[in-house]
Formats: sequence, C-alpha cells, structure tokens
Amino acid sequence: MRQVNFRALRSVHPLIACAVLGILYLLLVSIFPANADSMTQYGWSSTEYHTIYLMIVIPMVATWFAAFYGYNWVRSYAKSIENTAEGDSYRQLANGVGWLALSLPVPTIASLILNSIANAHPGFHASAIIISNYIALILPLFAFAVIGNAARMLTATASIRISLAGARSVIFMFVLLGVAFCYLILKHFDLGSPASNNNPYFMPIWIMLLTIIVPYLYAWFVGLLAAYEFSVLATKTRGVLFSQALKLFALGLVTVIGSSIVLEYISSAAPRSGHLELNGRLLATYVFRIAAGIGFLLIAQGARRLRKIEEV
Amino acid sequence: MVATPAIYPKVIKITHVYLGPAADRFIARQVQNHLGKQPELITREDLASIIDWIGVAVSLLTDDREIIEEYLNGLRKLAKQ
Repeated sequence: MRQVNFRALRSVHPLIACAVLGILYLLLVSIFPANADSMTQYGWSSTEYHTIYLMIVIPMVATWFAAFYGYNWVRSYAKSIENTAEGDSYRQLANGVGWLALSLPVPTIASLILNSIANAHPGFHASAIIISNYIALILPLFAFAVIGNAARMLTATASIRISLAGARSVIFMFVLLGVAFCYLILKHFDLGSPASNNNPYFMPIWIMLLTIIVPYLYAWFVGLLAAYEFSVLATKTRGVLFSQALKLFALGLVTVIGSSIVLEYISSAAPRSGHLELNGRLLATYVFRIAAGIGFLLIAQGARRLRKIEEV
Repeated sequence: MVATPAIYPKVIKITHVYLGPAADRFIARQVQNHLGKQPELITREDLASIIDWIGVAVSLLTDDREIIEEYLNGLRKLAKQ
C-alpha cells in the first residue's frame, strides 16, 4: 500500500494539534444547543445538559492527549533511526500511530457537529448517522493498514516469522469477532426487505455489508495480525535492554489496537442514536477509551526508552 | 600496538546481547565521541579506555547493576585478551 505522508500535522507539534482539537471540541459542546431528546429523557435543563456533557467529555479529551503524546514519542524515535535498516518501518509505524491518534478526536468532533445540525434540521438525522459511521470507520481502517505494513516490514527485517499456531489463533479470534459482529448488526435489519433503509443505520443491508461490515472485518484482521506480529517481534528481538523497551511499546500497541477494535465494535453493533444517552454503551465506550489512552502512554514510554538507547 | 581487526565485531557481538539492533550504533557513538575515530578501527587499548564511558551510558538506560556489570565485565575480558 502506498504510504501517505502525515502532512496535515507534520509541521505542527502533535500536542499543540491535540490542544486545538480538544479546545474546539469543548467549545462546541458548550455552545451547541442542548439536544431536546436527551433533555426530555432525563428531565435536564439546558445548563444541566451542557454541564453533564462537559463532565463526560473532559476525561475523553484527556485520552486524546495521551494518544498524541504517544504519537509524538513514536515519531521522535522514528526520526532518531531514520537512516537505519528499520528507519522506514518505524516511520510508517509512527504514521499509523498518528492516524490512530487522530481517529479518537476526529469522529467525535464530526459526530457532534453532524448531530447538532440534525437537531436543528431533523431531516438531516439519517445523513448525520451515515456520515458519522463512515468517518468512524475510515481513520482506523487506514491506521491499521499502515501499522500492518510496518509490522510486516519490521518482522521481515528481523527475519522473524509467526508460527502456524499463532496465525491460527489470530484467525480464530478474528472469526469469533467477525461472526458476532455480523450477528449484532444484522439483527437490526429486516432480511425480508434487503433494500429497506428502515433500520438504525439508515442503509440497505447490501450497502451496509459492502461498505461497513467488510471494511471493518478487513481492518480488524489487519489490526489483530499487526498486534500479534509486533508481540512476536518484541519477544524474539535480541538485546535485553532493547527488548524491554520494545515489549513496553508492543504492549501499548496491542492495547491500543484492541481498544480501537472494541470501540468500533460498540459504535457499530450498538447503533448511534445521535444524542447523549447515559447507558451501558457510553460506559463501555468510556472504559475502552481510557484503556486506549493507557495503551498510548505505554507506547510513549516504550518509544522514549528506545529513543534513549539511540541518544546515550 | 598494532590494531587487531577482529575486536570490533567481538565488541558488537557482546553489546548485541544487551542492546540488540542498536548495538552497532551505540558502539559507534561511544568510539566517535570519546576517541574521535572510526568504530571499526577500535583497538583493545581503545576499548579499555572507554569502558567507563560505556558504563555511564548504559547506566542511563537501566538501573539493573547486574546487567551493567555483566556487560562491562564482558568488555573488560575482551580488552584483556
């Protein structure tokens, strides 16, 4: 796959970019009109709605900082070894981690804007849900593909091959995930009316299959394989001190990829409603966003140690 | 004394146990920064003179004294051979 340069943020420090996105998001949450459905459901005033919404999203914005912090360190390490045999691979890995970091704020902000438009113009509700679903798909899909390429290049450079048992484990996990995912989505559809848009996704089943389900399954397989390859790389790479740092990095990457898969799972299998709901979906999203944030911090710690090895 | 061509690969081999793929870059930095010469030209005397610097550098990477001493002892043995 042709590498796309992370041009948009390359000239801006990642944490500054994150701060801009975070401030933008908090401002939008504060100034957009309260959603009538949420206010009715919970008996909130407009002020209560905005206060509660802010309390919910502030910790999520904190995880964005963790993500961009992790990306910054990976980028820094990749830069420090750019003229080595692994340089290209780690640069690609840094790009992938960057896209994964972006996949936290961008769909969230986009969804907020689209749903706010839909609040004012109810006829836009279906479009808002559809666009939100595609934005939530595209960034992680791209990120996983890039990270997958990087993992493959690194294992090839290190002459490391994954075992048959390992490959089968990845495939088995993927099949489990995929079958359950398909069931959770398809149960919302009337299979007797395949062309109908009358479902929470506002799409006919065949479009849902081809443009949402299949890309998600592809992304998850690539992501799971990349996570596994990186774990094997970290375990089999020689060098006690180097391996310790790489294992931390790999643990972080596995946590981030795993959390991202679960978050995509939740957002697709539990359809978006377009407004704030205090339910299990929100709680689960919260838990796995925090897990992703911890994963990015582990990535940062691993990358820091790897970078230090190149500095001393 | 005449430079012993074989010592550089042995230094890398010992360092590789601890620093893996970064071993050659690490040794190159120590030799270039403290001796001002190409790493491939390192002699046993050169190695003996930079072991302490290597110890300082490695101690910035880990607090595990056992690993540090194990590594430095390996280099000291090589310098004395």
